[in-house]
Amino acid sequence: MPTPLLVTRGERPDGTPLLAVAGEIDMSNSDKLSEALVGTLGPLVLDLTAVDYLDSAGLNVLFAHVDRLELIATPLLEPVLTISGLARLTTVHSAQPDSTQPESVRADPVQD
Amino acid sequence: MAQSHDAEREPLPTAWRDAFAADGGTGADLAAVDWEATPLGPPAQWPQSLLTAVDILLSSRFSMWMAWGPRLTFLCNAAYRSNTLGRKYPWALGRPASEVWAEIWPDIGPRIDQVLTTGEATWDEALLLFLERSGYPEETYHTFSYSPLRDDDGAVVGMLCVVSEDTERVIGERRMSTLRDLGSDPSVVRTEEEMLAFAGRQLGRNREDLPFTLTYLFEGGTARLSGTTGIDAGHPAAPELLPLDGSGGVWPAEAAAGGEPVCVPLEGGAFAGLGTGAWPESPTQALVVPLLQQGRPPSGFLVAGLNRYRALDDGYRGFIELAAGYVGAGIGSARSYQAQQRRAEELAELDRAKTDFFSNISHEFRTPLTLIMGPVEELRSRLSDSDPRVRQELEAVHRNGLRLGRLVNTLLDFSRIEAGRMQARYEPVDLASVTAELASVFRSAIDKADLGFTVDCVPLRDPVHIDRGMWEKVVLNLLSNALKFTFDGGIRVAVREEDGLAVVTVADSGVGIPADEMPRLFERFHRITGARSRSHEGSGIGLALVQELVGLHGGTIAADSTEGEGTRFTIRLPFGTAHLPADTVADSPGVPTTSVTAAPYVQEALRWLPADDTAAGNEQGPDTFVAHEQGPDAEPEAVGVDAGPASPARVLVVDDNADMREYLTRLLHGAGHEVQPVGDGGQALEAVRRNLPDLIISDVMMPGMDGLSLLNALRTDPRTASVPVLLLSARAGQEASIEGLAAGADDYLVKPFAAAELLARVRANVELARLRTHHLRWRTALVESLQEAFFVCDEHGAVIEINAAFSDILGYGPEDLPFAPHHPWWPDPVTDPEAHQQVAEAFGSLLEDRHRSRTVPVTHRDGRRLWVSATYNGTQDPDTGRRMMVGTFRDVTAEHHAVQRESALASLSTRLSQAGTLPDTLAAALSELRGLWRAEHVLATVHGGGGEPYVTADGAPEGHLPDRDQEAMLAELLRQPLLNPVCGDTGAGIHLEHPDGPMALWIEFGDRRPFSAEDQLLLALLAGRLAQAMTRAHQIDQQRDTALALQRAILGPSRLPDGFAVRYEPATPPLEIGGDWYDIITLPDGRMGIVVGDCVGRGLEAATVMGQLRSACRALFLQDPSPARTLMALDQFAAGIPGANCTTVFCGVLDPRTGRLTYSSAGHPPGVLTFADGTTRLLDRGRSLPLAVRPGTERPEDECPIPARSTLLLYTDGLVERRRRSLDVGIDQAAEALRTGRGTPVEDLATHVMSRLAPSGGFEDDVALLIYRHPAPLEMAFPAESGQLAPVRNALRTWLTRCDLPARTAQDVLIAAGEACANAVEHGHRHSPGAPIRLRAEALTDGLRLTVADTGRWKPGDPAASPHRGRGIAIMKALMHHVTITPGPAGTTVDLHTRIP
Repeated sequence: MPTPLLVTRGERPDGTPLLAVAGEIDMSNSDKLSEALVGTLGPLVLDLTAVDYLDSAGLNVLFAHVDRLELIATPLLEPVLTISGLARLTTVHSAQPDSTQPESVRADPVQD
Repeated sequence: MAQSHDAEREPLPTAWRDAFAADGGTGADLAAVDWEATPLGPPAQWPQSLLTAVDILLSSRFSMWMAWGPRLTFLCNAAYRSNTLGRKYPWALGRPASEVWAEIWPDIGPRIDQVLTTGEATWDEALLLFLERSGYPEETYHTFSYSPLRDDDGAVVGMLCVVSEDTERVIGERRMSTLRDLGSDPSVVRTEEEMLAFAGRQLGRNREDLPFTLTYLFEGGTARLSGTTGIDAGHPAAPELLPLDGSGGVWPAEAAAGGEPVCVPLEGGAFAGLGTGAWPESPTQALVVPLLQQGRPPSGFLVAGLNRYRALDDGYRGFIELAAGYVGAGIGSARSYQAQQRRAEELAELDRAKTDFFSNISHEFRTPLTLIMGPVEELRSRLSDSDPRVRQELEAVHRNGLRLGRLVNTLLDFSRIEAGRMQARYEPVDLASVTAELASVFRSAIDKADLGFTVDCVPLRDPVHIDRGMWEKVVLNLLSNALKFTFDGGIRVAVREEDGLAVVTVADSGVGIPADEMPRLFERFHRITGARSRSHEGSGIGLALVQELVGLHGGTIAADSTEGEGTRFTIRLPFGTAHLPADTVADSPGVPTTSVTAAPYVQEALRWLPADDTAAGNEQGPDTFVAHEQGPDAEPEAVGVDAGPASPARVLVVDDNADMREYLTRLLHGAGHEVQPVGDGGQALEAVRRNLPDLIISDVMMPGMDGLSLLNALRTDPRTASVPVLLLSARAGQEASIEGLAAGADDYLVKPFAAAELLARVRANVELARLRTHHLRWRTALVESLQEAFFVCDEHGAVIEINAAFSDILGYGPEDLPFAPHHPWWPDPVTDPEAHQQVAEAFGSLLEDRHRSRTVPVTHRDGRRLWVSATYNGTQDPDTGRRMMVGTFRDVTAEHHAVQRESALASLSTRLSQAGTLPDTLAAALSELRGLWRAEHVLATVHGGGGEPYVTADGAPEGHLPDRDQEAMLAELLRQPLLNPVCGDTGAGIHLEHPDGPMALWIEFGDRRPFSAEDQLLLALLAGRLAQAMTRAHQIDQQRDTALALQRAILGPSRLPDGFAVRYEPATPPLEIGGDWYDIITLPDGRMGIVVGDCVGRGLEAATVMGQLRSACRALFLQDPSPARTLMALDQFAAGIPGANCTTVFCGVLDPRTGRLTYSSAGHPPGVLTFADGTTRLLDRGRSLPLAVRPGTERPEDECPIPARSTLLLYTDGLVERRRRSLDVGIDQAAEALRTGRGTPVEDLATHVMSRLAPSGGFEDDVALLIYRHPAPLEMAFPAESGQLAPVRNALRTWLTRCDLPARTAQDVLIAAGEACANAVEHGHRHSPGAPIRLRAEALTDGLRLTVADTGRWKPGDPAASPHRGRGIAIMKALMHHVTITPGPAGTTVDLHTRIP
């Protein structure tokens, strides 16, 4: 049984598409993340504020789309993003772990 | 992982260095070339085609060079460098090829042009090229191919040369060919001149290696030129004669005469205009080598001009020396051939001279012979009635006169035949009847010899012309010969006609003639030595004469023979007269006359045969000495010499000639001696051994064993060595007598001798011998009277004399003397190397002439092992001055065995005292027994109650079981009485009592070896000792078993919960169980009860008390998990148990989730808590009195949090209490040990604390110890499914919380562990799906250790196995301090370690 993961689709105020992910990302559910990303085109903001575990399987998915991604993540994920080099290739916006989702994002849960 | 490898690399090499990367050595030198200065430019700009060509060049191990570009820039590889380039390396690299190979450019330039213009490859095989690579133009041969190299556009811009150098092969074949020709069979070469001419032709054909040669042979003080090649006659460097006195000359002749090769530089006028051989220029050096001969000084020397285009290396030098060797050997063999020829001519001349001499001297004999024989005949008839003694002597004179006459006549016949003066008269006769008549003359002699005789002469159709006299000699010689060599069967004479020839055969069934003697059968004076015959007498000319006589008749004689079966002579005579000289042929037969010739032959033959009573009345039984009083002819006065010996002696007369035997017997009888006559050496030896005579008189020449062999046999036998021997021989001359005396004869007399002289010598020798034997007898009596064995050795160590005690002790008697080393009583080197070595050493010191005493093992003739104590001393034989050893020894076997028994018993006792347990005791005893008897192995089977017997073995291979035979033997042993040794073929055994039942013990030697009574006694003693020791060990074992069983029952749970480590150490010595214990009880609510207690007292009693308290405490805890109330209840319980008073107990309840500890102590030493930072706290509250001191009193309780990564130590006072020392000091030490070891896992920490606190002699009191570190390690096993990752993460997260880590550290650990688990899920299950993955996490004081183990086999950094996981591993490494990935056959283990800040 894959680890539960919730992906919600939204949009930034400037119209950039946004995906908000909640849960832990590991090899059991990285496919789901990948599908969600493949389902979008062009620049995308990925909000990982509600992700408190991200392993290399998840990172591999992010690397595949790194050219068009911007990330929002809590300090908890910072070491992984830095060590993997992802932070150098894309913009990472800092979020507070306990903050709510960035405002003006319209929640639109994606169904599996 | 690939990333991390890259990171360790040097910065990337630049492209131009890469061009030469294929070969480190040559590549480096190529890289060093200033390519900018060449037309090729810097390698970075080289076209791909050039880079490819260079890469091929450098990576090939075949010898190659290439040229590229407009100036044909030169590059080569390592093989070319070492094979061909020589000194030109590395100068040549990057230069134009025409410059590199300027000297051969005329040869190779056109070939290269051809390649470049046509694009077609060339091929040359073994091409001669003069290379200047070694500092001189060198003759070299190469097989090579030039092939075109094309640039990226396909245009030919260079060439590649693949070359193999053939120089060694071409030159080697050339030289070998010369040597082969020199060595080819010069079968026609006979003389030195022919040999030199032959050698010259062969040397002259190799003009390459030998541009010119000169051969000089030594002649007196000069060397003469004997052969030349490649040089003009009369050249100043080729003088005809060279001085040998070192006074100078063109060539160093005197050095060559000394056998030394010399290299001569060819400088100066004399060497101008020398031959050039195959080369454009003449040699600059020549080698002068001696012509060596086996074992003699050199016969001359060879000057070889040297090829200036080759260095004078070992191969070249060796070739010239071999060539000179052939020439030298050829000269040697030519010279020896000539010498042999000269010798053959000299021998033929000598043979002629010998015949002449015999003929002349024989002629001179005839006159005196006639004058002897005439009167003798007359006397015979006149004295026919006189006394028998006179008659006998006259007969002897007559017989020997006839014999002498026959010998003389035969020699004269020869000289006549040689001189062609044989007077013959060939008359026609009936050959059958003449031959039959002649044969019948021999019948009486043949009958007497008890042989069959067949005369089968069929009348022939025509008469045969013969000379009667000659024919008689032919037939009689053949018959005499047949009788002489035939002992059984018979003789057959036959006459027949075959193929128009008269054929006469004389055949016997005698000893036959060896095949290798057949060719020389008819040779004059040739006698077959060593053949068994009736007489040794004979001149060796009979058959030679027969052949000559048959030849005069125009006939032939042939012999065929089989050794041991017989011989047949066949004579073929032609009929008619055509083959005979006309003037010797008579028309009619003459008057047949009775043969005069026949008598001597028959007379002589009769004397070979055993004498009958009348012929030799004195020859009685072989054992009988005939005293002169008893003899029939006992009239000593009649001899007419000075009779009356000082005292009569017993004399053994040995002669094959019956006349001589009788004569000597009569003579000695007359002188009053007892005489025993025998016919040869063998009989003499038998007679002597039976009955020792005072003197032996022996002929030298005898059939069978001759006189010298007899002498030798007598002298080597100690019993007969001292018997005086007087040798008689017909061979005159000083040489012969010296030979006889050297062989050990006491005196020597040459035939003929005067009777008086013989008797005088006999008397002198007998008296001398008596004098000598007086001393000898005295000495013998002395030696024999010794109680100790006595022996004498010669300087080689051979025992040459012994006494009776010697024979008694060792079983070897004087009849086998001498005993050469190694003496037969030495122990066998194979079966008993040690004893053999001992004797060998003792023997060595004996030969070193030291006065010594030693005790050594020896083997009696019957195989028994003896021990003798020998004393010996060196001395000198006063006669010969030779070093001798004289020694005595006595049998100390009994004493030796007694000592051996004592030491074996002592040794076994020592071994047994060191063995603790029953199995150890038995094993030690078996090993001891095996060593004692040097056995192959030792087995013991114990037949306990029921089931298979169990086997203990020493020396047998692992798992060895007795084979069927051994089993039967062991079973048989058990039917024997106890401690009664039994011997088998190759071992010995005994039955003894083992605590578990009857035991059979078998010592297997592995070979047949005597097991003496001493051995049996010793085995019985040792087995008895072993049985006692086993009983004692069994008692100790039982006590120990009981104690151990209790200990196991007493100590804590069999499976410790995680996080705990415990120790129990009994007090030492003696090993004793005390009353200490520990216990850990898992309570129903997940908490844990922890108990450490210490009862008063020791031994089984204390252990029993403690066991009850422990059980009670456990039950109470489960009922009410409160430390204070548990102790109070225990107070009541203990009050009812004798010996439980004053037990101290620490009781605690721990919540492993929170680390909360509630405790109460009943007079127990305080627990120690060490925090992560190394600070310590004592758990010294909640204290009250020991158990049962004040039952019913309330007990206090205290609470203490155990923070994360701190360690708790509980113990009994044995750990810290020492005599004359405060308990606090010990507690401080324990706290310190806990602090220093706090970084290690708890198991290691427990060991650390125990070893740090253990006194050097061990703990005096028993010690119980319990350690807990909070939190307990996390251990999980989960299936390899990705869905498991989240639950595992949650469990780990919870555990990490207990560890009280900084948030960042906890997250790092979580991610790193997650990656490791993901790896395990992804790869680990590949090889054994379904096998679980194990995760273990353990908190150390200052860090965490995690292990993730799977059952898969994957390698870190293997991109095929893990396309994405590289990133995961990198993350682990970045987050953790240490990451170790250990692939193993059973799976892969990832170890993660991080420090806590």
